[in-house]
Amino acid sequence: MANVTLKVNGETRSASVPPETTLLRLLRDQFNLTGAKLGCDVGDCGACTVIVDGQPVNSCLMLVGQVEGREVLTIEGLATADHLHALQKLFEHFGSLQCGFCGPGVILSAKALLDENPDPSTQEIRDALGGNLCRCTGYTKMIEAIKGAACILRGEEVPAVKSA
Amino acid sequence: MKSFEFFAAKDSNHAVTLLAQHAANAKVKIIAGGTDLLADLKFAAHGPDVVVDISRADDLKNITMTEQGLNIGALVTHTQIMRSPLICQLFPALVDAAHTIGAVQTRNLGTLGGNLVTAVPSMDSGPTLMALEAIVTIAGNGGRRQVPLSEFFVGPRKTILKPDELLTEIIIPKQNVGKPTHFLKFGLRKGQALALVNVAASFWVDWEKNAFLAPRIALGAVAPKVIRAPQAEAYLEGRTITPEAMAEAGRVAVGDAKPISDFRASAEYRRHLVAVLTKRALEGAWALAQTRRLEGSNGKRNA
Ligand SMILES: Cc1cc2nc3c(=O)[nH]c(=O)nc-3n(C[C@H](O)[C@H](O)[C@H](O)COP(=O)(O)OP(=O)(O)OC[C@H]3O[C@@H](n4cnc5c(N)ncnc54)[C@H](O)[C@@H]3O)c2cc1C
Ligand code: FES
Ligand code: FES
Repeated sequence: MANVTLKVNGETRSASVPPETTLLRLLRDQFNLTGAKLGCDVGDCGACTVIVDGQPVNSCLMLVGQVEGREVLTIEGLATADHLHALQKLFEHFGSLQCGFCGPGVILSAKALLDENPDPSTQEIRDALGGNLCRCTGYTKMIEAIKGAACILRGEEVPAVKSA
Repeated sequence: MKSFEFFAAKDSNHAVTLLAQHAANAKVKIIAGGTDLLADLKFAAHGPDVVVDISRADDLKNITMTEQGLNIGALVTHTQIMRSPLICQLFPALVDAAHTIGAVQTRNLGTLGGNLVTAVPSMDSGPTLMALEAIVTIAGNGGRRQVPLSEFFVGPRKTILKPDELLTEIIIPKQNVGKPTHFLKFGLRKGQALALVNVAASFWVDWEKNAFLAPRIALGAVAPKVIRAPQAEAYLEGRTITPEAMAEAGRVAVGDAKPISDFRASAEYRRHLVAVLTKRALEGAWALAQTRRLEGSNGKRNA
């Protein structure tokens, strides 16, 4: 068994799990944080995206031993019950998701982008979402929402919603 | 995944010690970014008994200019390459190559060393480093040794590394620092696609004769390992730089490639890509050489 202690959404958490456990399994099965989804389990789909030490990664491709002592942010850590993150508000506002399976990963990839680049171009947003596969939408409304959230986070007004 | 014992190395020396301890009587695997290894292990019938994690070996995460040349630690991630001012300035081709690897998440974890050790013929770091005649440093219990990257690859998924050895750094030798180089990859999609063919071209310019000097061309995904294109290089050496010469070098490079047909593309299509991409990579390197000359910097052998 491997004993692992790390920070998840600001809280120190520990678990004792087999060393072949991935970060994704740790979050879902031990900590009951099921926001990060198990899609492909091999790095292709991005449904399991979480932010480790500021960088978005595929949690299905990290072993628990590799996240010992690190800081992990999952979608559950982005909002409180009565205060959504700007990205979440605008994804809702624009109807950016359909089934929602890709959503936690997409939003965390977008958050990591906006943390570094407060005013990204459409191309930069597309590049940031290149590792988040969405089978339902065409990404268009996600990109609109991310641009809108970037405005809010910069303290500007969100441009009017384009009618569908 | 099959169960294994897990050890985290503090630095490269510790990693070598751990490998020496375990490699004699157990099947040991190194994990760096894990983007290749874990995807593999999840499907493997027989996994390793021991996994040595080197992702915390900070001494392998530096990008520095040394006496020998540009030194890139094996644990430098693709994201780090894209953000390194030194590499952006000297080798935009390496930045372009890194940018084509997987997606942001993969590039944040995946390392240059891991990419090379996979020895997959389509690896995107391979061609540029081969064209720049990179050297790799290998650390083992008996000490360190250096070999040219071209001798590091043995075949598909096979390198000369012994089970108790670690790749520690990749060096672009001093005489090639700043050499105008261009990388191109052709995949079936823009994102998250392996190369059908990837190519790097690199040359100095003899500005008096307007001729190719020390041209180097490397091709990926068209042979059991990343290869140089010796016939195309010989064709260009000393030749006047013209669009026709670059197009002809592309055609000659087809003769250096030995592509196979698979579910991604036919051998015929890959041969076509070799000709087109080689020509365009040469054009890219030529454009860079001219820009640098205008800026008064490199583009010319500086030693
Ligand atoms: C979704 C996805 C997309 C991808 N797309 C691309 C792509 O477009 N182009 C591309 O080239 N690759 C691609 N890859 C492959 C992979 O991400 C890269 O090859 C990456 O650079 C591997 O590095 P790593 O640190 O993750 O290696 P790991 O998975 O940690 O290791 C890979 C292998 O190298 C060994 N190893 C690692 N480091 C060392 C070392 N320093 N010394 C000795 N042995 C070592 C390991 O034991 C293992 O056998 C992709 C992977 C995924 C999951
Ligand atoms: S589940 Fe991790 S990338 Fe698909
Ligand atoms: S909304 Fe269904 S996968 Fe993206």
